[in-house]
Amino acid sequence: MTEQVYINKTSEVYDAIVIGSGISGGWAAKEFCERGHKTLMIERGRVVEHRKDYIGENTPMWQQEHRGRVENILVDQQYNIQKQCYAFGNTTKHFFGNDRDLPYTTKEGTEFSWIRANQLGGKSLLWHRQTYRLGEYDFNANKLDGYGNDWPIRTKDIEKWYSHVETHAGISGAKANLPNLPDSEFLPPFEMTAPEIELQAKFAKLYPERPMIMGRTAHLTQPTELHISQGRVQCQARNECHAGCSYGAYFSTQSSTLPAAAKTGNLHIAPNSVVHSLIYDEITNRVKGVRVIDNDDLSEREYFAKVVFVCASTIGSTQILMNSISKKFPNGIANSSGVLGHYLMDHNYNSRASGDIDGFEDEYYSGRRPSGIMIPNFYYKPDPKRGFLRGYALAGGAYREGWDSQQHHDGLGVEYKNKMKQAGKWRFGLSAQGEMLPRFENQMRLHPTLKDKWGIPQIEFDVRFSENEKLMMEDAAQQSINMLKAAGLKNVSGGVKHGPPGLAIHELGTARMGRDPKTSVLNGFNQSHDIPNLFVTDGASFCSSAVQNPSLTFMALTARAVDYAVKELAAKRI
Amino acid sequence: MKNVHTSTPSAIMVGQEKSRRSFLKSITTMFGGAVVGSMLTGNAISIAMAYVPKGDSVLADGKIFNQAQLMLLKQICAIVIPKTETLGAAEVDTHGFIDNQLYHCHTKAEQEKAIAVLTLINQTAEKYSSTLFMKLNADQQFQLLTELDLGEKRFNQTQRQAFKMLKQLICFGYYTSQVGATQELRYDPVPGGFKGSIPYKNTVPTWSTRGLFN
Repeated sequence: MTEQVYINKTSEVYDAIVIGSGISGGWAAKEFCERGHKTLMIERGRVVEHRKDYIGENTPMWQQEHRGRVENILVDQQYNIQKQCYAFGNTTKHFFGNDRDLPYTTKEGTEFSWIRANQLGGKSLLWHRQTYRLGEYDFNANKLDGYGNDWPIRTKDIEKWYSHVETHAGISGAKANLPNLPDSEFLPPFEMTAPEIELQAKFAKLYPERPMIMGRTAHLTQPTELHISQGRVQCQARNECHAGCSYGAYFSTQSSTLPAAAKTGNLHIAPNSVVHSLIYDEITNRVKGVRVIDNDDLSEREYFAKVVFVCASTIGSTQILMNSISKKFPNGIANSSGVLGHYLMDHNYNSRASGDIDGFEDEYYSGRRPSGIMIPNFYYKPDPKRGFLRGYALAGGAYREGWDSQQHHDGLGVEYKNKMKQAGKWRFGLSAQGEMLPRFENQMRLHPTLKDKWGIPQIEFDVRFSENEKLMMEDAAQQSINMLKAAGLKNVSGGVKHGPPGLAIHELGTARMGRDPKTSVLNGFNQSHDIPNLFVTDGASFCSSAVQNPSLTFMALTARAVDYAVKELAAKRI
Repeated sequence: MKNVHTSTPSAIMVGQEKSRRSFLKSITTMFGGAVVGSMLTGNAISIAMAYVPKGDSVLADGKIFNQAQLMLLKQICAIVIPKTETLGAAEVDTHGFIDNQLYHCHTKAEQEKAIAVLTLINQTAEKYSSTLFMKLNADQQFQLLTELDLGEKRFNQTQRQAFKMLKQLICFGYYTSQVGATQELRYDPVPGGFKGSIPYKNTVPTWSTRGLFN
């Protein structure tokens, strides 16, 4: 990218400011720029250049410091929370936030693991790339059981925007025509292994209402002309995605939305700019711009625009709103409803089960598939007999044991070494991703006294998994075990584990959409009820978590909101 | 602290360059030389930070183990994963790697547990054979470690679990070494795509990595 894209001080009044450069921010910038709007993307962290700054990419284990593990002292002092993320390692650690510099607290007796990725590209570099649409049952869920408020949108409002973002991003998957999980615009799916194909057939007979599909994932299994023109090529199946991908084979800001935005000539980026708060003009009832603290030297500066999109991640966006105090909004800007910070959700990943698959000794695979199989939520219709509300999806996959499994086996010497050399038995596992109810009690707030080094109040979390989530996970573990046994797996084991909220890294809610300004922060276009030129389009806007990985919906909501904002700007309503 | 990163055997360097080269070659094929040029100006993780196997780890005290313990650990490495048509764990300095790895990436409790296993092995040899483990003959050594690995006869299940931790370090050290990953097993830096079904015979080595998640 050209040097002129990056700016520091400017007096320009932009058409749009986009706070954040992750999945949502990247999409907001692309859509504004492509509509001819001068756009400033503000990123609190450093610049990460596509390819050049993927410093851990393609380093085999023996070339990595500590063979991929991270030094004790570094973990203890700087990454004590981040280390809980499965993707934290020597080749990825530079893409994680530094816990020492990014302190937060949890209310006594609660826990919340907040995983951060504060750099250009944000979590789009580190995400696991599973991509699923929300369906009509998901948008209806709150309305049916009364937990949370009704989503102000339905599939008809968003489906064309799903198609829009999918075509650009590149989503692999197979059409399944399921009532509970709409299809996307697909590139070919990743292949299943032979045991997976057999299990798919077995489940289809044993549990016709629980179809197993190939995981849908933002990887170019077969790039289109559009993708190739963006400098992206086919996925090489390294499964080292979180270190960065020079092939541009998975969707990230760097591989997909940023080049498109930059190409228009309408994009400026202000890196190392920590947004302190929004500048509010009470007379016009508009947000005029943002106050920024320099990430490095802590100096202050301001940026101005006609419209502000807050895409700073669920917690980050709401933190900015809460810290934007005025006479009219003493409890955070756009918070006349009082629900800002409430209804915080994550997913619950605390159930798992696995077992051995007999046979298939003459079957193997080549390449490292960066995805698995998925059994979409089969509890999508409410049923009072179930004992809990909402449902879960089951994700998993089959693999042959290698040295990393067999190292726990008994044995020594030549015989042991020769056994380790061979592919071991086939294993198959299922882990749940459960919906978390939107509950008023689950919240984030600004700490009354503690601040971070930029002078911004720290976040205090007060979040618990409720009895509903616990009962759901017990059911998920039992159902998974039953299904594996019914399909003939051996040595089936499983159960519920204890993992704190936050670790699914699907933070959602806290500035929810809704039809009623008295009970929601945003309207059906992610626009603030209170302030017409203020939008929040990331996970903060969610009314319910559903069970699907949410990033695809961030993309679609963002693209749709920009389309709306551009029309409103043209009509001089904002 | 001693600097363990000083020696760089040429064979290791050749292997490192080869792996990097195959990646850059495929990038060049797909995007052209300019893209590779831009990547080479980047600040790639220095491979000099990786543990480099040495031939002389047992000639001095390590970071966790003293010299005698390192010699004992080297012998245990040689028994758990011996030299066959490929080098074994001792030949690729897995003992030196474990000493370094325990120091940098493991808890104090794990470090002490590893030392305690070595002590237990020597104490058991002395108790039943009145000699250090190193002085036992090959069969006696193999027998003692087999019992420990199973937690049978002279050993209990707690001791077995402690040994499993050490054995796991040996396996991790060996199969993530260049010899273990690329000569004993198979390593493909850029597979080019995923095939869900290929024929397999157990005379063919298994893949050595799952990507970032070993």
